[in-house]
Amino acid sequence: MTDNNVMKGSAGTGLLVLSLLVMVAGFGYAAMNMAAHGHAAFNTDANVAWGQPISTYLYFALASSGLGLLAAVPLVFKVKEYYPVAKRCIFLAFIILISGMAVLAMELGHTFRMIWALPFGMQVQSAMFWMGVLYALDLLFLLWKFQRMEGRDWDSKTTLQIGIASFLGVLLASGNLALIFGMMSMRPFWFDPSLPIYFYLTGIASGMAALVFYTYLAYGFDRGKMPAALRQLMEGGLPKLFVTLLGITFLFIMVRMITGLYANAPEINLVWSDYILASPVYHISLWGGILLPFLLLLSPTLRVQPAVQVACAVLVFGGLFAERYFFVVGGQVIPLFKGTWAWDISQYAPSATEWSLTFMGAAMIFVLYVLGEKMFNLSDSPADTPSGASQPAGAKATA
Amino acid sequence: MTDVLNAKFTRRRFLQASGATGAAAAGTAGIGKLVGFSAAGASSREARAASRGQTTVTKNICAQCPARCGIDVYTTNGRVHAIYGDTGNPIANGKLCPKGHLGTYFLYDPDRFKGPMKRTNPSKGRNEDPGFVPISWDEALNTVAERINRLRENGEAHRFAHFYGRGWGSSDAGLYGDFGKLIGTPNSAIGHASMCAEGSKRAKAATDGNNSYNSYDYANTNYILNFGASFLEAFRPYNYLMQMWGHMRSKSPMTRTTAVDVRMNPTLAAADRAVMVKPGTDGAMALAIAHVILVEELWNKDFVGDFRDGRNRFRTGQRVPAGSFDEKWTYGLVEWWNAELKDRTPEWAEGVCGVSADQITAVAREFGTTRPAMAIMERGPTAHTNGVYNGMAIHALNALSGCMYAEGGLFYQMGPSYGGLPANSDDYMDNISREMQGRHPRIDMAGTDRWPMSGHMMQETAKNHNAGDPYKLDTAMFFYTNPIWTAPDTAEWEKMMAEIFVIDTSPFPGETAMFADLILPDHTYLERLQDSPTYPFEGWPMAALRVPAVDPIYDTKHFGDTLIEIGKRINGPIGDFYRELDNVENCLRHRAAGFSDDPGDNGVRDFETWKEKGVWYRKPYHWKQHRGVFYEWDGDGYNKVMTEEEVGEKLLKTGSGKFEFKSSFLEGNAGYITGELGVSRNRVGYPQWLEPRHTGGDRPLHFITPKVPMTAEGRSGNIPHAIAQMQPMVGGNQTTFLEIHPQTARARGIRDGDRVKITSDLGSIYAYARYMPSNRPDAIVLPYEHGHWAQGRWATAQERSVNPGNPSDITANISDPISGLACYYTGKVDLERA
Amino acid sequence: MAKWGMVIDLDKCTGCQACTTACSMENNTLPGENWQDVLYYHEGEYPSAQMKWLPRPCMQCEEPSCVHVCPTRATYKDDEAGGIVFIDWNKCIGCKYCMIACPYGVRFYADEQPLVEPDLKAAFPGEDGQLWSPPYQGPQEDWSRGIGIQPKGVVSKCTFCHHKVSQAPAGTPDLDEDDPDLKEYVPACVRTCPPKARYFGDLDNPESNVNKLIGNKRGVRLKDETGNRPQVYYLGAGANIPAFQRRQRS
Repeated sequence: MTDNNVMKGSAGTGLLVLSLLVMVAGFGYAAMNMAAHGHAAFNTDANVAWGQPISTYLYFALASSGLGLLAAVPLVFKVKEYYPVAKRCIFLAFIILISGMAVLAMELGHTFRMIWALPFGMQVQSAMFWMGVLYALDLLFLLWKFQRMEGRDWDSKTTLQIGIASFLGVLLASGNLALIFGMMSMRPFWFDPSLPIYFYLTGIASGMAALVFYTYLAYGFDRGKMPAALRQLMEGGLPKLFVTLLGITFLFIMVRMITGLYANAPEINLVWSDYILASPVYHISLWGGILLPFLLLLSPTLRVQPAVQVACAVLVFGGLFAERYFFVVGGQVIPLFKGTWAWDISQYAPSATEWSLTFMGAAMIFVLYVLGEKMFNLSDSPADTPSGASQPAGAKATA
Repeated sequence: MTDVLNAKFTRRRFLQASGATGAAAAGTAGIGKLVGFSAAGASSREARAASRGQTTVTKNICAQCPARCGIDVYTTNGRVHAIYGDTGNPIANGKLCPKGHLGTYFLYDPDRFKGPMKRTNPSKGRNEDPGFVPISWDEALNTVAERINRLRENGEAHRFAHFYGRGWGSSDAGLYGDFGKLIGTPNSAIGHASMCAEGSKRAKAATDGNNSYNSYDYANTNYILNFGASFLEAFRPYNYLMQMWGHMRSKSPMTRTTAVDVRMNPTLAAADRAVMVKPGTDGAMALAIAHVILVEELWNKDFVGDFRDGRNRFRTGQRVPAGSFDEKWTYGLVEWWNAELKDRTPEWAEGVCGVSADQITAVAREFGTTRPAMAIMERGPTAHTNGVYNGMAIHALNALSGCMYAEGGLFYQMGPSYGGLPANSDDYMDNISREMQGRHPRIDMAGTDRWPMSGHMMQETAKNHNAGDPYKLDTAMFFYTNPIWTAPDTAEWEKMMAEIFVIDTSPFPGETAMFADLILPDHTYLERLQDSPTYPFEGWPMAALRVPAVDPIYDTKHFGDTLIEIGKRINGPIGDFYRELDNVENCLRHRAAGFSDDPGDNGVRDFETWKEKGVWYRKPYHWKQHRGVFYEWDGDGYNKVMTEEEVGEKLLKTGSGKFEFKSSFLEGNAGYITGELGVSRNRVGYPQWLEPRHTGGDRPLHFITPKVPMTAEGRSGNIPHAIAQMQPMVGGNQTTFLEIHPQTARARGIRDGDRVKITSDLGSIYAYARYMPSNRPDAIVLPYEHGHWAQGRWATAQERSVNPGNPSDITANISDPISGLACYYTGKVDLERA
Repeated sequence: MAKWGMVIDLDKCTGCQACTTACSMENNTLPGENWQDVLYYHEGEYPSAQMKWLPRPCMQCEEPSCVHVCPTRATYKDDEAGGIVFIDWNKCIGCKYCMIACPYGVRFYADEQPLVEPDLKAAFPGEDGQLWSPPYQGPQEDWSRGIGIQPKGVVSKCTFCHHKVSQAPAGTPDLDEDDPDLKEYVPACVRTCPPKARYFGDLDNPESNVNKLIGNKRGVRLKDETGNRPQVYYLGAGANIPAFQRRQRS
């Protein structure tokens, strides 16, 4: 089978080296600062206890879950058109989650203690406990599923069952992740029983952006090099799904925003009016990172263009990263019961160390991604799909 | 201000120097102690647990304010780790204020001086590194003694001066008198009283003849009218006042309070009625209250007396015929009314102090109809040029309510039954001592015709020295005082201190030390053996004792021993005197011998029991006024009725033997008062309204620099936990903010958080602004603590040494001519965005 | 076993912060990491402004939301120890979820940038697992209950001075600092409170003074709507937490 995947070549190696450098540098910088200053290297404090490393983790975990859910489209719901992205979805879901966990590991006070304290504690009341359990299961199922795909077992009963289990695992993991925030009645900005739905939808949007970006990246942003079935998907159903997801994401954000602005409770209202909407970064992210790609993709002529798709994916990266950040920090900026000690809305901006962890996580995704593209055939799909037979259009040019 | 900024760098080098020298000094003198100090960090948690020894509790007295709360110091394995109030101490009663617990920081402050040092850099200035090098105690003490011997031989003993702030008792400041008499200087010692609260003492001297702060019976009072005594922040004894507050606010009937102040504070916030007056006008309000009390016939007739025919003739604006009123324990009421009070209506006062006439009338009626009711005051109303008159007007209310010496009222403190020193200094005077007696005035001119009614005028010293009038000092030794930072017009002090030989005895780095030629570091209070008779408290005598909790951890020396050791090195019989004293412990043993004839209520009868209990006291107070009759304690009860003569001799120590509304004390200085204040000669004796002379001319804003609960005798600027709790009212936990009413700020384009420039006649300082809508729009408030530029690593970090700057830098040196009290709160300033 | 409760009378409290410093020295907390604090609030404007204050220990809730969220059971409510909520520093993973879940903001990570510089953690560097090791640290230490100086990477909180309280004779209805036999068992903040605005006793004992005070003076619990059911009660005027409002900045 001809493979036009540029990641397998020197371009991929170059990207691998580059991202490895960024990852090591990010890790090294953070580790050095944390060795010297402990968690004082972060800008978090008693008011804003969860900062950008947590929002980065959340961003990655939800992107991973989104990819897991996207993978279920062909694998559970048998929408065969999506087979060409199934394996890449599963792989990306796996590595993005791993990267997110790496960032979280650097954020925790005692990461290694968690490994035994969590199972021994068996604190079933804690959503955080379930996060550990469910994301561990999620990882396990993703790995198992991927192993099945590597074995080209696409349709056996077992593999379907694993797919369903994985799908449920993703739903539970990300839904539970939402409840970590959504069940906190003392944090009204987060307190919301429907938060899992919001996380699912925005997570899929996030996953979709990752899928689009990394799929194009594999082929050097040249759709002509893609296998036909993949190409067809990227020209047809997928951008439509992408724009739908962005529309729903935007709608959901608007609903939360309107509710928040309408509410009298300062822990909600002021977060929106005086923190989130007072931030130019948020405006750029919302209008440029969610609404703009939505509008671009709404146009039937634009949305099929590879450059537009990739650009939109990148914009959505930024838009949803900011969305996660403002979600996490926004829930904490109104000081709880601090009197004059907290003179006004809490000020938080990530430190260099916290940024370095974000870069470390992002670079780790690239490292694992390139390795994956090199080691596996992530565009693989069942032989009986149309793509199995056809030749990529641009094959001759690059062979 | 650039100087101040530059000082940060110099300061760091200074600290390095002092640290290094400390270690070096330890090499010669205190090595065992130092090793013990550094080795105590346990190597493992298990070792820490295993090595946990017995916890011992020693008695001490807190040294962070004048209150003298007894403390229990908890020590385990040679480390002090907790301080709680001493249950057996009548002031502390097991309680402490927020400062008290932080005492361990004083002991373990890493910035402490670690041994005696001398200066090597002859240039002095804020930015000059003193270049301290360690020396031995012998060298240090010899240096001082040689200077004194030389001055004495040259007939210049008066050019040696002691300065002190918080003197504790006979074992430190108590040694000054003999020291000055023997070496022949009038300047042993210049006290800080005139920069503290002399105004209230003089107001009382002028009215009831006691030149003293009061004792109070808060436990039994039903009404407190409080003028500018920061009862729930800094008034002493703060800890005890809060205990009393808890009692007063939960007893039946509950004590009601009206608080009068110039800014929002906890005292005002907790009061039943909060009144904010224009700074310096409290006296006007007090006079109007007195007016209402008289017009509405609410005075205490048992104490004050009544009209002969029982018909009230006090009518607004109308004179009362002389001889129509029979006074009992007061003197001059009718004259006062006719000369001053008849026109001091609430409506008049409203125009002066800004408090509505209705409010004043309501306060007057409450005060006049509640018994017992007391009017209290402290530095707030008296730190103005009209301070004593303000204070007299307020204190006069205590006569009108009849609470002087009454249950729930005010009285005066008795002294402890101390034994004498092992030697009498009179027997050790030499020719020089005798020749120098009375030859030169004090450098501060206190008690001369320049300041005839003042005992101390420390704030005048630098000015006088710089002018060479009356002479120039040669050597100055400082104990528990830091006027180069705290006195008004600090620039004068920097000039003087650069010229003379300066000896600092503080255990800590500070601004005085930056200008010092010699550092003779004292122990911190947890390492000291030191006595401390009580400040005015509940009247009955009390004397507490500091017992060292640990051996000195550095090569330091008790200030009392330093004085005695210097004395031993003075030529001639003087040295013999100090050899007789020998050391502080010996002196204290002699003092404690006095207890054997008068054992304390807690069984203290000698030095050993004193050490064990930490305090000697003997109740009850010996006098009581009840319904206009004065009684004396006869051993069983207040059974002995006192004659007028006895009252005049023991209690109302005025010319008339009465509480005077027409002060014989002031009339005796009428010429001076007329000259200084422009009060006509025949009116000088009356409590009266006198316009304060604010410095700063037409500048629009009053500059108020209050003490907050965390203000620990000038040291909390370098205590991390104190910094973190310094100004809770506006969230000042890293620095102190300038509190501004938003309207005042907006008019100047100042936003909350802006750096602002405060300018007086003397110059400018900077601070960060915080909006405080509860303050007066015409007053800006900067708590007095930060702005120390040489106190240690915490004092100077995070801009605390420059933003805010030191308020004293821009406080003009102006004093109330009568009391001599420096007018810290009378300055007016400009404010702008920096 | 007793159920320890605290009663704070706001009509007597003077807002002095003695409780705060007593706690910080007894428990060796860092500046600003106030297990116990007094919070100030303002309303209104000169000449009719109000200023009020609210002392705030850990509420030792009956339904502690912090305990529910802890993934490792590091934080737990110990009914055998009077219902005190502890943190086991051997189990805490430093996820800070409890800090998020506590409605009263009384949990501290401490391994943070210092409020007051230079950092005390640098002035007195931590030895043997301690975050910092001041020369004046108290002798008590029990990491399983979060007592002593905290190690890195864990959350700390008020323990109701368990190391003192637990030494009290069983069955004592009230730990009154004025009783010389009991004073060493009284929590630091209660023991030192100058106006005696704090009381500490057994909420399970109907005869205890704390129960009498709560009954007679209509004690309330802060943020009762959270359902956390504090074991700390407030008496007197001002026992509520004003809603957050932004300050005028210009």
